[in-house]
Amino acid sequence: MAVLTVIGIGNRLRGDDAVGPLLIDELSTLPDSQLELIDAGSDALGVLEYLEGRQEVIIIDACRMGRKPGTLVTFDPTQADIILDGDPISLHGLGLAETLRMAESLRMFSGDLKIIGIEPDSTQFSGKLSQPVQRAMKTAIEKIQDELHRVKELIET
Amino acid sequence: MSRDLNIKVHHLTRVEGHGNIVVNMKDGVLEKAHLSIVEPPRFFEAMMKGRSFHEAAIITSRICGICSLGHQLTSLVATEDALGLEISEQTRLLRKLLIHGATIQSNVLHAYFLAAPDFLGAGSVFPLIATHKDVVLRALRMKRVANDIGDIVSGRAVHPITPVPGGFTRIPEKAELLEIKRKLLEEALPDGLETVETMKALAGAIPQFERETEYISLKNSEEYAFYEGDIFSSDSGAISVQNYLDVTNEFVVDHSTSKHAKYNRNSYFVGALARWNNNNAQLGEEAHAAAEAMGLKPNCYNSYMNTIAQVVEAVHCILDSVRIIDKLLEDGLKNEKPNQNPTRYGRGIGSNEVPRGILFHDYTYDNKGNIVKANCVIPTGQNLANIDNDMQKLVPEIIDKSKAEITLSLEMLVRAYDPCISCSVHMLEVDFIE
Repeated sequence: MAVLTVIGIGNRLRGDDAVGPLLIDELSTLPDSQLELIDAGSDALGVLEYLEGRQEVIIIDACRMGRKPGTLVTFDPTQADIILDGDPISLHGLGLAETLRMAESLRMFSGDLKIIGIEPDSTQFSGKLSQPVQRAMKTAIEKIQDELHRVKELIET
Repeated sequence: MSRDLNIKVHHLTRVEGHGNIVVNMKDGVLEKAHLSIVEPPRFFEAMMKGRSFHEAAIITSRICGICSLGHQLTSLVATEDALGLEISEQTRLLRKLLIHGATIQSNVLHAYFLAAPDFLGAGSVFPLIATHKDVVLRALRMKRVANDIGDIVSGRAVHPITPVPGGFTRIPEKAELLEIKRKLLEEALPDGLETVETMKALAGAIPQFERETEYISLKNSEEYAFYEGDIFSSDSGAISVQNYLDVTNEFVVDHSTSKHAKYNRNSYFVGALARWNNNNAQLGEEAHAAAEAMGLKPNCYNSYMNTIAQVVEAVHCILDSVRIIDKLLEDGLKNEKPNQNPTRYGRGIGSNEVPRGILFHDYTYDNKGNIVKANCVIPTGQNLANIDNDMQKLVPEIIDKSKAEITLSLEMLVRAYDPCISCSVHMLEVDFIE
C-alpha cells in the first residue's frame, strides 16, 4: 500500500517546467516502493483531488526562488511566502499557489505536505531540460527516497 | 465627456503568455483599447513536424493542462481525416461524453471561480471560501464528477491516454458507466440546478452592454454541436470545416504577438455565447428553463453573458451525458480495437467545440505517416479582435465612471471570454521567510 503521495506538476513541453512530470516518470521505473505517483500535468487546480484524504504528500514543481538554476529546496509551504498570481484573467491563471491556499481555507488537507522546488533555467517551449535541472533530478529522487524511509519509520513506530 | 484616461492592467505577470489590458483616451477621444496577449502557440508547427500519427495527439494534449482534452480530440479528428481512418459509432459517443465532461468542468469553474467573485464584488474566489463555502464546495464537486468521466473514459483526467487515432485502447466497463450515470443524476444534476439558482441571484450584477457581432461555432443537424459539424456563421451560414482558413483569415496586429481573426466583419465571437446564439434551438427543455431563469435569450449580444451561456451548457452536458451513457449501454459495449490502418496520406482538418470556442487542427502527413505541416487555430486567438472591439465600444459608454470601475468592467469583460493565455507556465514563486 502506498504510504507517500508524490505529485509532479508542470508542462512537459516547456523546458525545465517538465521536471515535475519527468521525475514522476523516473520514480515509476523504481521497484514497488509504496509511492503513489501522480503526474498532474499543468492543471494545478487538479492537485486538490489528490490532497484530500492523504497523510503524506510531496509536490515537485519548478519554482522561482531567486536561486541558481538547478537549486533544489525542500520546504513546508507554511515556511515560505508563496505568492498568489493575483486577480486571474482566466482559468489558466489559477496556479499551485491558489490551489494550496484553497485547500488550506477549505481544510481539505490535514496531512504533512512538503514541496520540492527546483529552480528552472529556461521554460521556453522545448522538449529538453537544462543541464543544471537535469542534474537536480538525481538529488530529487534521493530526497524522495529519504522521505519515504522517514514515513515508513514513522508508521512502524 | 472630455477626459484623459490611461489604464494599463498587467495581469498575471508571473504567468508567461500573460494578457495586459491597455486603454488610452485623450481629450475624450479613445486612442487605444485592447488586450495584448504575449506569446501565442507559434511553436506548434515546429513541435509537430516529423512526428508520427501515433504521437500527434499525445503531444498536443500537453500544450495546456486546462485544454488538454480539446486539443487531443481535435488532433485525433485531424489525423483520422488525413489518413482516412473511419471510426465507430461507439468511439464517436465516447468522445462526445469526454467533451461533455471537459465542458462541464471548465464552464462551471469559470462561472464560480472567475465570474462569481466579480458579480459579488469579492475580488477573487478566496473571500468566498469564508462567506460561501457551500458554493465553493459545490463547484469542486462538479469538477470531480467531470474528472470521473475523464478518468473512466480516457484513462486519466489530465492528459488522457486511451483515446488514440481510430478509437480507444480501452473501453470502459458497464459498471463504470453506470456509476458515472449515478453521479451525474444524483450529484451533478442537483448541483447544476443549484448553480442556475446561484447565477440567477447574481445575474443582476452582469453589466448591461450590447454589441452585435458575428457569432461562429460548429453546427450539425443532429444535436447542439460540440463534436463534428460544419462551421456556422450567424452572418453567412454554413461553411465546410475543410475551408476553415477562409473563416479564420488570421492577421497580425501591432499590439499583440498573437494573430487576430476576422470573417464577414472585422471580428467575430467564439465560445458558449456563439454556440448558444447559433444552436439554442437544439437544446432541451431543462437547458432552456435554465437560460430563462438566468435571463439569457436567443440572439444575445452582451458578451458578459458568455458566463451564463456556459452554465446553461453545463446543465445540457450533464443531461446529455446521461443520454449518451444510456445509448452506449443500449447498443451494448463492444470491445473494439482502434482502426489504425491508413487508407491514404495527406492533409486532414479537425474541428471541435472546446469550452472556449471552436478549435482547428490541420495536419499534412507524408506517406510514412509523419507530419510535414501543421497548423492550429485556438479559440482565444479568434476572439482577440472581438474583445478589442467590445472594449472600444464599452469605454466611451462608461467613461463617466471612476477609473477603478472602468478597469473592473474591462477586466470582467476579458474574464467573460475566459481567454486561454495558453501554454502558460505555472510556477510557484517563493520568498523564504528568513
